[in-house]
Amino acid sequence: MKRKFDHSAPEGASAGPRYWRSLDELAETPGFREQLAREFPEGASSIEGVDRRQFMKIMAASFALGGLGLAGCRRPEINILPYGKSVEYIVPGLPLYYATAMPLRKWAIPLLAETHQGRPTKLEGNPTYAPHGGSTSLLAQASVLDLYDPDRAREHTKGGQPLATADVNDLLAGIHRQHAGNGEGLAFLADESSSPTRARLVARLKAQFPRAVWAEYEPVRDEPPAEAALASFGRNVKPVYRFASAKRVLSLDADFLHAESGSLMFARQFAGGRRVAKATDPMNRLYAAESNFTLTGSMADHRLRIASSQILALTAVLANRILGTTDYATLAQGFTDGAAWIEQCAKDLVANAGECLVLAGAHQPAAVHVLVNAINAKLGNLGRTVDFVEIPESGASTLPALVTAMKAGAVKTLVIVNGNPAYNAPADLEFASALKSVADVIRFGSHVDETSAISGTHLAATHYLESWGDARTADGVVVPVQPMILPLFGGLMEVELLARLAGEEKPDAYEQVYATIAGLTDGSRKAFEKFLHDGILAGSEYKVAAAGFDAGRAAAVLATAKAPAPATEENIEVRFVTDHKVDDGRFANNGWLQECPDPITKLAWDNAILVSPRLAKKLGIYPHGASGPQVARVELAEDFHYKERAFIGEVTVGGRTLRGPMHIQPGLANFTVVIPIGYGRPRSGNVGTNSGVSAYVIRGSDAPDIASGTIRNTGERLNIATTQEHWSMEGRDIVREANLEGEEGYRNQRDFVKEATIDAHSPPVYGKDQGASLIYKATETPRGNSLYETPNFEGLHQWGMSIDLNTCIGCNACVVACQAENNIPIVGREQVKRGREMHWIRLDRYYTDGQLDAGAFGGPGNKEIPEDPQTVVQPMTCQHCELAPCEMVCPVNATVHDDEGLNVMAYNRCIGTRYCANNCPYKVRRFNYFDWNKRALDALYMGPLGHQDEMPELVKMVKNPDVTVRMRGVMEKCTYCVQRIQQAKMAQIRKAGASGNVLVPDGAMKTACQQVCPVDAIVFGNIRDTDSAVSRAKAQDRDYAVLGYLNIRPRTTYLGKLRNPNPDMPDYRPLPFSREEYMKKNHPGHHGGAEGDEHAGEKKGEG
Amino acid sequence: MSKIFPKSANALPMQIVIFLTVLTGVATAAVTYYSTPKYLRVGYQPIQPVPFDHSLHAGNLGIDCRYCHAAVEKSATSSIPTSQTCMNCHSIIKTTSPLLEPVRQSFATGSPVPWVKIHQAPDYVYFNHSVHVDRGISCVECHGKVNEMSVVYHAKSHSMGFCLDCHRDPAAHLRNPQDVFNLNSLTLADQGKLEQAHQMIKDWKVNPPQSCSGCHR
Repeated sequence: MKRKFDHSAPEGASAGPRYWRSLDELAETPGFREQLAREFPEGASSIEGVDRRQFMKIMAASFALGGLGLAGCRRPEINILPYGKSVEYIVPGLPLYYATAMPLRKWAIPLLAETHQGRPTKLEGNPTYAPHGGSTSLLAQASVLDLYDPDRAREHTKGGQPLATADVNDLLAGIHRQHAGNGEGLAFLADESSSPTRARLVARLKAQFPRAVWAEYEPVRDEPPAEAALASFGRNVKPVYRFASAKRVLSLDADFLHAESGSLMFARQFAGGRRVAKATDPMNRLYAAESNFTLTGSMADHRLRIASSQILALTAVLANRILGTTDYATLAQGFTDGAAWIEQCAKDLVANAGECLVLAGAHQPAAVHVLVNAINAKLGNLGRTVDFVEIPESGASTLPALVTAMKAGAVKTLVIVNGNPAYNAPADLEFASALKSVADVIRFGSHVDETSAISGTHLAATHYLESWGDARTADGVVVPVQPMILPLFGGLMEVELLARLAGEEKPDAYEQVYATIAGLTDGSRKAFEKFLHDGILAGSEYKVAAAGFDAGRAAAVLATAKAPAPATEENIEVRFVTDHKVDDGRFANNGWLQECPDPITKLAWDNAILVSPRLAKKLGIYPHGASGPQVARVELAEDFHYKERAFIGEVTVGGRTLRGPMHIQPGLANFTVVIPIGYGRPRSGNVGTNSGVSAYVIRGSDAPDIASGTIRNTGERLNIATTQEHWSMEGRDIVREANLEGEEGYRNQRDFVKEATIDAHSPPVYGKDQGASLIYKATETPRGNSLYETPNFEGLHQWGMSIDLNTCIGCNACVVACQAENNIPIVGREQVKRGREMHWIRLDRYYTDGQLDAGAFGGPGNKEIPEDPQTVVQPMTCQHCELAPCEMVCPVNATVHDDEGLNVMAYNRCIGTRYCANNCPYKVRRFNYFDWNKRALDALYMGPLGHQDEMPELVKMVKNPDVTVRMRGVMEKCTYCVQRIQQAKMAQIRKAGASGNVLVPDGAMKTACQQVCPVDAIVFGNIRDTDSAVSRAKAQDRDYAVLGYLNIRPRTTYLGKLRNPNPDMPDYRPLPFSREEYMKKNHPGHHGGAEGDEHAGEKKGEG
Repeated sequence: MSKIFPKSANALPMQIVIFLTVLTGVATAAVTYYSTPKYLRVGYQPIQPVPFDHSLHAGNLGIDCRYCHAAVEKSATSSIPTSQTCMNCHSIIKTTSPLLEPVRQSFATGSPVPWVKIHQAPDYVYFNHSVHVDRGISCVECHGKVNEMSVVYHAKSHSMGFCLDCHRDPAAHLRNPQDVFNLNSLTLADQGKLEQAHQMIKDWKVNPPQSCSGCHR
C-alpha cells in the first residue's frame, strides 16, 4: 500500500476553447474580480436581493456571446493518463477492497474500504468480523468525507511558520533528548484508544520517562466506569452484553443501540431477538427507564420517563426487590413515582432469570453499575446474558490531575495527541489558561482547531484512512488500520509520532504495527499479511473472566453513594448527551453528518436545548390552555415548513450560562433538560464553525453528564432547520403495528396489517388475483386500462425490497450510506429550512399517543403535546411503484420503468417541471434547485457570477465514479442502487459465458442501505425467485404496502411493527397507540375506539 | 368602425409561414451540423503525444488488442496501456527513437503520457467493455478497423441511436466469440450464418438492455 498516486491533472492539459460568462469577463475589465467580491454579499442571502434587471442583462449578454462562439460546441480535448509504471492489482474501472478499521475511543468498527485507483470512496463493514455481520454505523459511513475535508491541517507549523518533515523529526528527537533520564516536566494528553501498538509505545515512553505524565481525556464516556467493575468483581473487567440470549432487557438510562461502546454489535443481537418471521417465533421485551428520549427508548415496549439522577434510587428499589433485602433502602428513599412499574418489571425479570439482562448507561455513577451487577448476579445472568471480560489496565492519569500539575508549573513540555481539550474540557478546569503556564505545547491533530490555536506547535495528523495502526473492537478482537492512500496533506501518523518521541530505532508506523502484531502471532510476515488481508486477528478477543460478585467490596462503594434530590422546576436536571451525529464535536465539520437529521428531534445543522412539554409550558413556550391546538398541526410547534421558530433559552449550571434555541421534545423526563454536546465549535471549518451551541461552556468536571441548574426563557426567537414538521400520522395507517399477544395481537390476528386497516375497506387492488404469487401479480395481473403504458416486466430479475419495521432502530446509517454511495450533495442549513434537502432515503419518525385525536376529523382535539408517546420509525424512499404516478405526469418521459421493475430516472432527459414530485404520494423525489456540487453553500444565489468551472479536486475525489453527479434543474431519487444491480448482472454475465446462467444469485448484490443496516431490516432481491430472501420476507403475513389502496403497486413493502408489552404493567395497552388513533378516526363507534377511550383516563406511565 | 389593421397586414400570415419555414430549415440544418454525433465525432483524429501506429502494431505485427488494452475483458474500461507496457518491447527495440522519448520519460519518472481521448462516452453513459466482448461483440463494431489505421480516428458515431441499433437487433452484429479480437473477421450474419447468431442469442441468453437503466445511472 505504500505507493504514490498522482491525482493532479497534467499541466496545460485544459487548454480547450474558452467560455465567457459576461461582457466584463470577456473584456477583462480591470478590477472585475474585485467588483464581484464586493457585490456578492448583497445578493447572497436570497434571490429577492438580486436586481432582476441586472441579472437579465448579464444573462442575455452571456447567452449571446456563447451563441456567437459556436466553436464552443466543439468537444474539448480530454486526456487519458495511464500510470507510468503498472500498479499491482489495479485494474482501471474496477474497485479494490482493503481491510481496515475505524477507531473510536476504546473500540473500533472493522471495515472494508472501496478504493478506485487508490482513492477511497466508500466504506463497508468487514463481514469477516461476525458480530457486526458486515454492517457499519453512520459515523463510519461519513468518515470517508472527513478524509477529503478541505479544512484539514495542510502543514506542520511552529509559531505560525511551516515546518518541514525533517524539522518535525528533529523537533520530536529534541523532545526525547531534552527529557532523557526521568522525563521530569514532560506530559502527554491523549484521547482514548484501543490500539495495542499505542499501548506498547506508551509503555516504552513510561519506561524511559518514569516521571512524565500520560493523561487521557474523553468528553464522552461510553463504557461503564472501571471502578464499578473493580468494586463488584475485584478485577479489571468490563461487561460484554449478549443480547442474543436475553428474553427480557431492562435498560437503565442506557442507549445501547447507539451511544454505548459496542453498540453496533448490541443492536444487531438485540434485533435478532426481536425479529419475528412467523407468529410463533419468540420476541424479546425491552423495558427502558430514561430521562432523554433515545433510540433505545423509542424501541422499548415499556418506557418509564425518569430523571437520570433518580436512576440510582430506581436501581436500589429494583435491587431490594430482586435480592430480597432492604439493604439499599436508604438509596431508594424518596422514590415513589414508578413503584408499580418497577414491581411488575422486576417480576418479569425474575420469571426469566438467567435469560434476562439489566444494564445501565455508561454515564451513570459507579453505584448504579454495582447494583446492576448485583442484580445480574442474583438473576444468574452472569456468563449467560452478560460476560465480564479482562481488559488491559489503562494506567493513564486524568485531565484534572494534569491541569493541576500545569497550573503548578510542573509541566514544561506538553504533547497533546488528538482530542480537543481547549474546546471540550470541563469549563471549570480553565484548560486554556492553564496551558499558558506550559512553555512548550506540541499539538498533534487533524485540524487547526481550538486547541491548535493556543498551542505553539501544530503537527498535522493523518486521517485513519491514511495511517498505519491497529485497534480493538468492543469485544477485543485486534483489527488493522491500513492506509488507503498516501497522506493527502503530508501528515504524520500517530504511531510514528509516539515512536519518535520514544526514540524508537524504526519509527516507521508500518514497522511498529508489525512489531506489535508479531508479538501476538507467530511473528512471521505471512501471519501479518493474513492479518491485514482478513482484517481481524482470530482468537484475539478479550478473555472472559470467571467473575463472581463480591458483595463485601460492593457494599463499601454503595455506602458512600447517596441519592440526589429530585429535579424540580426550579432546580432542573441538565443532561449532557453525546450527539447522534457529531459525537463529541470531532465530526462537526462533516457535511453529511451535519445535514443528517437527528433521528428523534429531526433537527439538522443545529443542536438545541431539549425541554419536556411540561417544562415548556411552565417556561411559557406555549401559553397555558391555548385554544386547543393539536400536535399534528404546524401552528402548535410553530413550524413553518422545515423552519422551527424556537425560543431561545438560558441554562445556568454552576454559575455558567448557555444560550440556545429550545426544542420541545416529547418523552423527556419532566424537569430534565437535554443538551447534545459537540456543537458550537468556534474553530472547526467551513461546515462546523458556529453550528449550534456548545454545551461544554457550562459543563463542569464535578458533574459532566448529569448536572443540576436552572433554565429561563429569554423570549427571543431563532429559526432552526427541521426536516419533519409533522409529528403524527393523524390516524392514518402508514405505519401498521400490533401487539404480539392479546385479543387483537399478531398471534391471534395474523393479518392485522390488512384486516385492521384501510386495506380491508378499499376495493381489492389485485381483484381475483389477491392470493396469487408475488411474481404473478407483478407480471400477469392486468394493470387497468390506463392510457399510459408501462412495460411488461419480462426481465429475468424483478427487483423488490422489504423493510422490517419491527427491527429498524432508526439509526440513520442508511441515510448516510446512501449519500456516500449515490453522490448525494449537501444543501446547507438555509436550504434545509426551505425543505430542499436531497436525501434519497429518510426516516419518518412519528409519535403516537392513545389520547390523541385529530380535531380536523371531528374529535375534540388534543390540548397538549404527548408526554409519553410511542414512537415509530419508518425508512421511506422511492417505492418503485409498478404503476408509478410520477411517470404518468412526466412530459418528457424522463422517468419511466425498465423491464426489471425499476422506476428509472434519465437525468439528461429531465427538464425540471417537478410534476413528478408533485404527483408522488410518498414525497421521495428530490429536485436540484442549485448546482450543489459546483457551488459553495454560501454562493448558491450568485447566479452566473458565482459559477465555478469545476468541482474542487478534493470534492471530486470522494465521488462514486459509477454514479452520475447530477446538475441543477433535474429530479433525482432512489434508484435501488442501479449501479450495483448492473455491476452484479455484468459480473454474472462474464462468469456465465456460454452456459447462459445469467441469473444473479440471491444475495450477490446488496443496496447501500441494506449493506450498512446493522439490524438487517432491509432485504432486497429478485421477486421472480420465490426462494429469495426478499420473496420470503414479502410472503410473511405482516407484509403490507404503504398507501397500497391507491393501486400503484409499490415494489417496496413493509413488515408491520410489533410491540411486546407485558399485560401486568401499569402502562399496558391492548393496542398500540397508532391503532387506537386509527380506530378513533375511522371507526368512532367500534370497540377498539371505545377501549381506547376507557383507558385514556388512566394514568399512563409514571414520572 | 375604423380599421385596426392596415391593408398590408393581409400579407402577414403568408410572411409568417415563410419565415417559420425558413427558420425551421435553418434550425434543423444547424442542429444537424453542430450537435449530432455524426458530425461532431466521426472523423475526430487528434494528434497524439507519441505517434503510435495501430496499423503497424495490431495490423502488421499482429499484436492482440488485449496485450495493451488488458482490462477489456474484466472492467468497464478497456484501459490504455501504462508506459511500462510499451517498454516491455521498447526497452529492446527502437531504444533510441526520438519519437518514443515521452514514453521513456514517463517510464522513468512515473508521470503519465497525456494520450488524447478519442472515444468519449458522456458522463451520464456507463458503457462496459467487458460484457460486450464477452458476448461476441468485436472491437471493430464500435471502433472500426483500428488495425488499419495508422493514426486512430473516430470511425463510428457512438450516438444513442448507434447503440440502440445493435441492442435492438444483436443478431446482425454478433461474431463467433473466438473472432471478437480479430478485427478482420466477419459477423456471423455476414458469413451467412444468421441461424447460428440466433442460436447463440438463445444459448448464451444475450439480452441487451433497451431501458434507460441499462446505460444511465
